[in-house]
Amino acid sequence: MKGLLSPGRAIVGVAAALLLVYPLISDNLYYQNMIILSLVFAIGAVGLNVISGYGGYVSLGQGAFLGLGAYTLAILSTRIDISVWIWVPLAGVVAGVFAALLGVIALRTRGPSFVIMTIAFLFLLQIVATNWSSLTNGTSGITLPLPMWDVAYQNWPFYYSLAALLGLSLLMSWRIRRTKFGMGLVAMREDEDKAATVGVNTPTYKLLGFVASAVFVGMAGAIYGYYLSFVDPIGMFNILLSVQILLSMLLGGRGTLFGPVLGAFLIEPLNEWSNNNLGGGNARLLIFGGLMALVVLFLPRGIIPTLKDRLESRRKRGKAGLVGARLELRERTAPVAPPEPTGRTLLEVKGLEKRFGGLRAVDGASFAVPEGSITALIGPNGSGKTTVFNLIGGTMPANTGEVWFDGQRIDGMKPWDRAYAGVGRTFQITRLFRQMTVLENVVAPLRGFRWGQLNADGVSGSEAERAEELLDFVGMKRFAGQEAAALSFGQQKLVELAQILMLDPKLILLDEPAGGINPTLIERMGDMIRELNARGTTFLIVEHNMPFVLGLCDPVLVLARGKTIASGRPDEIQRDPKVLDAYLGDDFALDEAVPATTS
Amino acid sequence: MTQFVQTLILGLLIGGVYALLASGLTLIFGVMRVINIAHGSFLILAAFLTYSIWTAIDLDPLLTILLTTPVMFAFGWLLYLVAVRRIRGAHMSSSVLLTFAIALVLEGVMGLVWGNTSHSVRPQYFNESFTIGDVFLPKAQVYGFAVAAIVLGSLYLILTRTWLGRAIRASAVNPQGAALVGVSVSGVAALTFAVGVAAAGAGGSIVSVLYPFLPGSHYQWIARLLSIVVLGGLGSIQGATIGALILGVAEAATVTYISPSWATAVPYVVIFVVLLVRPQGLMGSRLREDVAPA
Repeated sequence: MKGLLSPGRAIVGVAAALLLVYPLISDNLYYQNMIILSLVFAIGAVGLNVISGYGGYVSLGQGAFLGLGAYTLAILSTRIDISVWIWVPLAGVVAGVFAALLGVIALRTRGPSFVIMTIAFLFLLQIVATNWSSLTNGTSGITLPLPMWDVAYQNWPFYYSLAALLGLSLLMSWRIRRTKFGMGLVAMREDEDKAATVGVNTPTYKLLGFVASAVFVGMAGAIYGYYLSFVDPIGMFNILLSVQILLSMLLGGRGTLFGPVLGAFLIEPLNEWSNNNLGGGNARLLIFGGLMALVVLFLPRGIIPTLKDRLESRRKRGKAGLVGARLELRERTAPVAPPEPTGRTLLEVKGLEKRFGGLRAVDGASFAVPEGSITALIGPNGSGKTTVFNLIGGTMPANTGEVWFDGQRIDGMKPWDRAYAGVGRTFQITRLFRQMTVLENVVAPLRGFRWGQLNADGVSGSEAERAEELLDFVGMKRFAGQEAAALSFGQQKLVELAQILMLDPKLILLDEPAGGINPTLIERMGDMIRELNARGTTFLIVEHNMPFVLGLCDPVLVLARGKTIASGRPDEIQRDPKVLDAYLGDDFALDEAVPATTS
Repeated sequence: MTQFVQTLILGLLIGGVYALLASGLTLIFGVMRVINIAHGSFLILAAFLTYSIWTAIDLDPLLTILLTTPVMFAFGWLLYLVAVRRIRGAHMSSSVLLTFAIALVLEGVMGLVWGNTSHSVRPQYFNESFTIGDVFLPKAQVYGFAVAAIVLGSLYLILTRTWLGRAIRASAVNPQGAALVGVSVSGVAALTFAVGVAAAGAGGSIVSVLYPFLPGSHYQWIARLLSIVVLGGLGSIQGATIGALILGVAEAATVTYISPSWATAVPYVVIFVVLLVRPQGLMGSRLREDVAPA
């Protein structure tokens, strides 16, 4: 879809032009009304799409922001006698403030609890609007002043102000998706914990996402209330408004720019039709419910993404895909000599403890990682290796103990702050952002947090260049445009390595870099680690492949039952009776030919 | 003092019924990681079935449980096969949306069949009470509590004493492990869903005697049940029971000491407070999400 006159752009352009001239060429108030309502729901759905489509937080309470906006305008305009339109921007502010409050509570809730909270939010507002009669006039509702303009203008002020709001909403949505902010939201949708470890300040992103998803909706709600000239708790905080907004976004395509608008302009006419021909009420419930079930079961991605895929696969028919292609295993320059030891300790862990209920996964582990080393952390399954990684990276808090990194105590820091400090980690089972491309995955990490950065381009030229260099380094450059989910496990490991290299980490924690990948790739992985190490990066590696570990790492730390039981040079570790007993086994004997040792 | 005791007892009586209703919701979540938003509509459906049976053959509404429970069990099973099965393993939001869609459709169907007016089931003992000292115990509430306790007790026994119960709990804790030792996890999921819906069915029959209801009541009920399972800890049946009793008392206290019109707000406030203060709920442990399934 490139070029100024792509079919997509042409359709959007024609639709926008038709929308703008319609009231001028037709005085059919029935259709004007239908379009006005469609615009309201489209604005609601575009807003919802920011937090649900990009950010992955599904809300059943989006309609609450319409209601908040409408009530703000109704309460103020009946008390203060100036132009009603003054209150529209204020309604946006009120909706934004409530969204921020909701966001604060949502900072600690995800998935199921979050959905529950959005329903509670909507219904609680309905009860407050019902019971706080002195402010809202209770169930009797508030009747608004009638518009003052000439009848000849019909509903144009409503129509065009909503069209303008929709335009602004779309502009915001478009901009967000192209910025670091939008990329962070999508990263959160794909994997929130992982996003935090690559430097995404998730609470800030979440809060801003909530506010962005509500402000224009609040303004639209105000105009909607003014247009209806009556607000009451049942009408304004009706869950069916939220359903209609949600359904619009799902049907059109969540995460797309125009999907929510398309959905809104399909659902509202259907809604009108069922009200007129089927008597509304129960028929409307059946249609909304049935349609929602059908979309979830049979069209989960919505119309626009599904259509795009169809067109794409038609275009690509007969052309071999890249995913099965061989890796580019370039001959690399001879491995460089390891760096001179600096004698400093880069990472030090003191008395670290983590309990899960009665289970002590990590039970007083203490060890140090010398700067410039490739240190191994080995031990039997369940000895707490990955949990130690989680505690160092900040994915979970330790019960007691200290983590010192580069002269700084980091165990109280958030995962993204640890990433900024220079800690990068990979996961045992790779955790790429599956629906992002390989390039986007590599560009996603952030090396610091600045407010201005949120509005910066998602992929800047220099970042793309750096990302391509890194992909080239791991041999995955040709896959830059592929979706991460399409890659094999081994390929994902390579991309994940490139991804954290983007952080320029001083220390890289690798969780089983050689697990589940083929021998050639294991060898390649060893070479890359050596090369990066020669350039000054320190490594801490969890791995079960003993030839790989013993050929690559020095020192080797041994963890058993959550405690460090030994540490030393590989040849010492191999003969340590405690290690043989706890992990390697009495009959452990390493073959002379060590595959990972090429130096 | 009498007022306090009265409030406490009424709260606990209704809390017992809440416990039965919430048990199915939390059981389904525990095993399938599905938040069944349709749970409220299932109980309202059972209430309407009770109403129809009661008006047709004048069977005591609390005895209709013997009919509504198996009917709702079959209904739950069917619904699982037709729809819920398809979103197993999908993202959690799909199951929320699907069960919400089911709730909307059921609300529409109930509206078409029974009409959108308020219904209530009133057996002869509806206006009678036991009195102990100065404390009134409405017979409907006492009987309702007793029946709920019996059904919930049986559910407990099934879960703890039978192979099926162990299979359900095993599937909840570790689906792969359960599959390895010969539990058909998908079969268990179907059964769990059906059992959960049946529990809502039994509870719905009791509710029909205690509260007036209409098709749209299901929102209020699902909100109440969600607040109970959030309070108790998602997936924990003991937690749901404790949460239900607390919510019952909290609502009764709000009616007595603040105002009946604010009692409906209690569940929502509970949800917000729990999510702010202790997101994992009273009995819930934080899920350990770092262990990758091998």
